[in-house]
Amino acid sequence: MKKRLAALLITFCTVVAAAGCALLPVGSSSDGDADFSAGRGEAIRILSGSENQELEEIIADCADEAGVRVEIDYQGSVNIMQQLQNGAPDYDAVWPASSMWTSLGDTQHLVKHSQSVSLTPVVFGIRMSLAGELGFIGSDVSVRDILNAITSDRMTFCMTSATQSNSGASAYIGFLYALLGKQEGLTAGDLQDEALRTEVRELLNGVDRSSGSSDWLKDMFLAGDYDAMVNYECLIIDANEQLISEGKEPLYIVYPYDGLSIADSPLGYVDHDDDKKEEAFLAFQEALMTPESQSAIEATGRRITANGVSEENKEIFNSDWGVDTERILSPIQMPESDVLMDALNLYQTDFKKPSLNIYCLDFSGSMYGEGEEQLEDAMSQILIQENAQKNLLQASEGEVNIAILFNDGIISTFQAEDDSDKSLAKLYDEITAQEPGGGTNIYLAASEAYRICMDYDLEDYTPAVILMTDGQSSDYSMEFERGLPEYGFIVPIFSITFGDADPEQLEGLAALTDARVFDGTENLTEAFRSVKGYN
Amino acid sequence: MKKKLIGLVLLIVIMIVIGVIYFISGRAPKIVSVDGYVGGEKIELLEDAEVQAIFEEKYGVQADYSRAGSLDMMTADMEGMDYLFPSSSIAEEYYEDLHGSPQQSEIVLNTPIVLYTHRSVLDAFDSHGLITQSGSSYYVDMPKLVELIQNDTAWADIGLPELYGTISVDTTDPSSSNSGNMFSALLANVLNGGQTLTEENLQQILPQLEDIFGKLGYMETSSSDLFSQFLRMGVGAKPIIAGYESQLIEYAALYPDQYESMKDDIVMLYPAPTVWSTHVFIALDDNGQLLLNALLDEDVQKLAWEKHGFRTGNYTTVSESEDLTAVGVADDITQVTQVPSYDVMKVIIEQLQ
Repeated sequence: MKKRLAALLITFCTVVAAAGCALLPVGSSSDGDADFSAGRGEAIRILSGSENQELEEIIADCADEAGVRVEIDYQGSVNIMQQLQNGAPDYDAVWPASSMWTSLGDTQHLVKHSQSVSLTPVVFGIRMSLAGELGFIGSDVSVRDILNAITSDRMTFCMTSATQSNSGASAYIGFLYALLGKQEGLTAGDLQDEALRTEVRELLNGVDRSSGSSDWLKDMFLAGDYDAMVNYECLIIDANEQLISEGKEPLYIVYPYDGLSIADSPLGYVDHDDDKKEEAFLAFQEALMTPESQSAIEATGRRITANGVSEENKEIFNSDWGVDTERILSPIQMPESDVLMDALNLYQTDFKKPSLNIYCLDFSGSMYGEGEEQLEDAMSQILIQENAQKNLLQASEGEVNIAILFNDGIISTFQAEDDSDKSLAKLYDEITAQEPGGGTNIYLAASEAYRICMDYDLEDYTPAVILMTDGQSSDYSMEFERGLPEYGFIVPIFSITFGDADPEQLEGLAALTDARVFDGTENLTEAFRSVKGYN
Repeated sequence: MKKKLIGLVLLIVIMIVIGVIYFISGRAPKIVSVDGYVGGEKIELLEDAEVQAIFEEKYGVQADYSRAGSLDMMTADMEGMDYLFPSSSIAEEYYEDLHGSPQQSEIVLNTPIVLYTHRSVLDAFDSHGLITQSGSSYYVDMPKLVELIQNDTAWADIGLPELYGTISVDTTDPSSSNSGNMFSALLANVLNGGQTLTEENLQQILPQLEDIFGKLGYMETSSSDLFSQFLRMGVGAKPIIAGYESQLIEYAALYPDQYESMKDDIVMLYPAPTVWSTHVFIALDDNGQLLLNALLDEDVQKLAWEKHGFRTGNYTTVSESEDLTAVGVADDITQVTQVPSYDVMKVIIEQLQ
């Protein structure tokens, strides 16, 4: 009896307390728009790799089933690691592509209940006819074989940035082992090897385009004209479904026996001492792991066990495309964390094709105050090398950095003398010295950027125009579009928006040039990092 | 007048309610919430509803935790922590070395280091004379296994061409987590001719240990993560791992359906010889002490063996426990070497860092 009364009183108090909480201002984690959200109830905010975008429908069903509101932000696995190292204060859960990034990031011991949701290997998808010509169909292929095809100009390929995304990092480590002729135990000393360095540079020269995330790499591949990409098996299956529906030739999947890695997609709770969030997380995780959800996940081309695939989803894993579910997936070994970080830094500064960055910076009158501040802060994240290094975004060897300051005209154009820390800092100072004023014409700035590109041999660079603007531009889109074919090349025009920028105009530019628009109003620096992941 | 009366009645009612709340909250056992660092392999035990019920009802204690490697936790931020629950006496000595004597510490649970592998690897080892069987338990000849590892023997050389690379045993990082640390202790003893390694032969053995671990590359920092990856990712990803005996017993007890589907493939190998992992509870304050007492409760210890696989004072032999779901659990752990002293292990850990 007493117990009952106590229970009743506890319930009463809880209700009062909960009502009290409801009146308090909402926490920062529910502020701002998530990239994806679903369901109702206690909200959990998840920081996830972009490859999970394909699972949004299943995630929504699981959120409903669990009675939980799920909010997801997408970032590359390396960013997820860095967020974790900083305690991931805005997130209740992390869901990177591979558990390696959770363990490397969880220096503060916050992650628990981590469970692998699905498995998918990182593989090469090569145009079917080309794979046939190269003799890759139905045979055992080594990374060396693939590298030979690339360096002899028989195949171009694209991959995600090794410093921003798990699939890129995994493939890159596979390259290093293959070039060293080693099977395991990559050391810091190996990375100093001059012959290796030359070979890696040569190889990465064959990278047509890089991308900050695996899912967008797939989109880019579908929109562009490439021979091959390094990506997750599930995303290549997904790409093939689209290619087939468009009547195009599908990709053949090659599992290099000496360069394979597996993404195990671990979903883990980040403990910030909130029992309700933990409960909500566990309910959502349980819903994801039910046989029904797992089968739905398998139907997207992800594997749910290491031993083949189930009968009902068999046709998804089409063996005509080279998908091999019988094969034992025996991945390469990832190097210890210090060596891995060394390797990633080298990729960023030494190995990858140098970037050609043309920043178009809006200095129109509306930028006065907060806009200008945000823009300058973002530029300091990229041009001040001490900051850039924290996010593995340092300037690479031979990198070119140009800033076009514009309003309704071109105010001035500055170029960093070279890739040194000092020159980049000087460029930053030149930018910050400018005062805003006047109207806005983004098309003029974009044309000027393209004009500058003509002075460079674009084969030797990964070029990108990065447009940062807050305002409505006078509309000269038709003129710009008409002028485009004359250049004879397409350089992506990425935009970072803030203030009341018109995303429609910017989306238009992005669509014309195979690029993307990022919302900088929430976190400009973050958007900036996303953009930089693409070159 | 009426209004006044209503006011009075209301006041009395409120006072009674407050009085009742006061009375009940005074009588009900106060639940103390204690926080500490725990090695990942013991989390299921602390999350066990039956265990939690005993904690709360008999001892008025609720165990909160943060997961950390056994050695990592000794240098972690201990602000607000009431206890540490690492998985070895070495970790406890490490604590004393850094912080002095704790309020109290006691061995609460034991489990031997074992290897986990898949049927195909067992068969390959067996055909190369590494395996002996006793009842349903398998024992692997450690000197022979170490020889294969040291000679860079490829999996293909022992008849497993589908596995890439050379024979190795995946472990957690010996400098941050206990199962890896204990496995390095075991290897040290094996390399020392089966004798517990002392300072005398340390310098001779060290380079060999470094060589073996140097070839492992990236290592997980948690035993439970490594074990779940082993179960999840198949023979190709993790052909053999080092772990605790408790992990399989617990997995089979808690997830009988999943275990059933994989029990023909998953094999537990007892290294001959092996080492004990002794799970020491370090109480940092009175609240920690409370949890220590609760853990030593006889019913908790029984649950710790039957559901979580930890051998304890009273539950160390299989015959005493009727129905373990896990297959191949040895009756007794007899072939055991002593873990090297803390001073020796400290040098090993530093060298492998």
